Amino acid sequence: MKKLRDKEKLTSILYPVIFGVVFCILWQTEVLHLLIGADTFTLPVPTRIIGILIDNFAVIMGHVKATLTVALIGLVAGSIFGYFLAIIATLFPKWGVGGLTIASAFNAIPIIAIAPILNNLTKDVSKDPNTRSMVAKILVVMICCTVSMSINAFRGFTEVKPFSEDLLKSYAASKKTIFMKLRIPNSLPYVFIALRISVPGSVIAALVSEYFAEFIIGVGRMIRENIVLAQYASAWAYISVACVIGISMYILLLAAEGILLKGRK
Amino acid sequence: MRKNKAFQKVTAIFLSAALLMATLTACGSEAEVSETTSETVTEEVAEEVTEEVTEEAVVEETGAYYSADQSVEEIVLDAAAKGQVGNWGLGNEYEVQALLAKYGQPTTYLSQAFDMDGFDDDSILLASAMTYNELGLVKNSYEGAYGYGDAVSYIDMNDEGVAMLEDNLFTTKEFAEANPNTVKAFIYASMKGWEYACANPEEAAEIVFNYGSSVSAEHQAYMAAEVKKLVETDTTGATVTEYGKMDDAALQQTLDLAKQYIALSDSVAAEALSGLTLDDIRATSYWEEAMSSEGVFEGLEKTDVSIQLKWLPQAQFMGYYVALEKGFYEEVGLTVNIVSGGGDIGETTAVYTGQVDFGVTWVSNLIAANAGGMGLIEVAQVYQRSGLVLTYKLNQ
Repeated sequence: MKKLRDKEKLTSILYPVIFGVVFCILWQTEVLHLLIGADTFTLPVPTRIIGILIDNFAVIMGHVKATLTVALIGLVAGSIFGYFLAIIATLFPKWGVGGLTIASAFNAIPIIAIAPILNNLTKDVSKDPNTRSMVAKILVVMICCTVSMSINAFRGFTEVKPFSEDLLKSYAASKKTIFMKLRIPNSLPYVFIALRISVPGSVIAALVSEYFAEFIIGVGRMIRENIVLAQYASAWAYISVACVIGISMYILLLAAEGILLKGRK
Repeated sequence: MRKNKAFQKVTAIFLSAALLMATLTACGSEAEVSETTSETVTEEVAEEVTEEVTEEAVVEETGAYYSADQSVEEIVLDAAAKGQVGNWGLGNEYEVQALLAKYGQPTTYLSQAFDMDGFDDDSILLASAMTYNELGLVKNSYEGAYGYGDAVSYIDMNDEGVAMLEDNLFTTKEFAEANPNTVKAFIYASMKGWEYACANPEEAAEIVFNYGSSVSAEHQAYMAAEVKKLVETDTTGATVTEYGKMDDAALQQTLDLAKQYIALSDSVAAEALSGLTLDDIRATSYWEEAMSSEGVFEGLEKTDVSIQLKWLPQAQFMGYYVALEKGFYEEVGLTVNIVSGGGDIGETTAVYTGQVDFGVTWVSNLIAANAGGMGLIEVAQVYQRSGLVLTYKLNQ
């Protein structure tokens, strides 16, 4: 039985890896270009992209740092704020549900719409354009991360097992005790559901908000600059960097989830 | 009871919305604070105090902006020191960088949006503007404009010797070699359109407006009058009578500045850029033969052609719209489709991939594209001088 599961695990990793390797070989040998009708100018081969990554490692890292700062601060601040909103909504359920409905309306605003607006609203924040751009970008990421956290955490707080709640009530537990001992632990898996949406979302929000920022820095902005200047090889280099940022943050999240929620499933 | 519940719900929604707003703004300022550590806060406060003091002193002497008799150097040095020079970036920044370098300043600039709000609210002191577009929006007082009138002045890139040529007409080397007669016919009819448009800018503005304008009729008329100046005057201020002429001296200056300020992270492209010569970016034979012809073109290889504009429909491209409206393209046997641009549309890529046959771009953008290996070729240079200026407010 255990052997079978190990085999399953192995194949579930092996197949995507084989697919990836075959894909890269097709790409490098330009068979892929023939298949989708692209040329090596708009879709350069991997070795060229990797060459650019190596040549400009220090510069690229500077942009990565700027993007990561925005994504991480926005993610953490937005998630904490969302969790806090969910607590309030749970404590005052009468209008909490309505409030969260409005909050989810915020989620429907596209990033490209709020980024320029927040840019204008934060003009007075600081004299240093880098700082005020940073604030504007972080706010965009925050708005994107707040909503998924508040809605999911609220579900975690409220959708407790009825018999657990009844049991605690039968012990004459106070509301506070129920909250601390039942609701908060119950919300943890939901927090991770929210983060699974927010983590990739925060990277995307950071990349897009960089397009509009006053201070020119970040992976997103470099993708735009290079595409407009028809420098597709460089653009692809930054696109692959953006992918690596998103994927590695997601892997970190999965690892954290594995450790924190061990034995709960 | 029901009514009461509904009322409760409504108040609840309002309350939570207000709370959301309040906390959002609170978190905004929090995020700002979290960026500066407590140590630097005290330092910054001290700095701010001294900054304020010196600024007030300056304000008392000269006002917050610049005076009409201040030299270009003084203005550039001041705005650069404050880090308040603006440009759109995305390949439009090289002339501004060349100007900053001319006065020994670092070549960094603020990213300017496609409106002049940043200039209006003083976050940009020295803002990039095209004479035919943004400068008019700043000065004039029709709808959508800012109405500064004579309260603004500008630095002209042509006067500063850092002019780079802008709107041209280009295609791919491959297309030009395969369809020489079509290219010549297209150049001939387009230049006829430009000649007519410059002779009748008001009519040209109206024609463009009717083709789906992105701006008001008044602004379109202003733009047509300003574009006429760029088409009929060269970088030295001399009058040009041959529409679309490729002036080697101005093109060479554009190429030299492009090599200096186009920064490419792709080493292959960067090497190609440094090796580019004028012959790699322009071909004069098509224009020369077209202009010396009688306007009759035999054996057109392709009669259905399209042209990709660099931006939205506006008088910046009036020559092509006039040629279409007045039937100049039909006269030479061409059916032309004008494709408007806008946003991040890459006119160089559109022509390179063959989606369109011709395009309008800035010479510097064509140079960057060719450095990447596109093999584009300019066949006419419509704008004879740079239309880019840096505008600033005057003390009143």
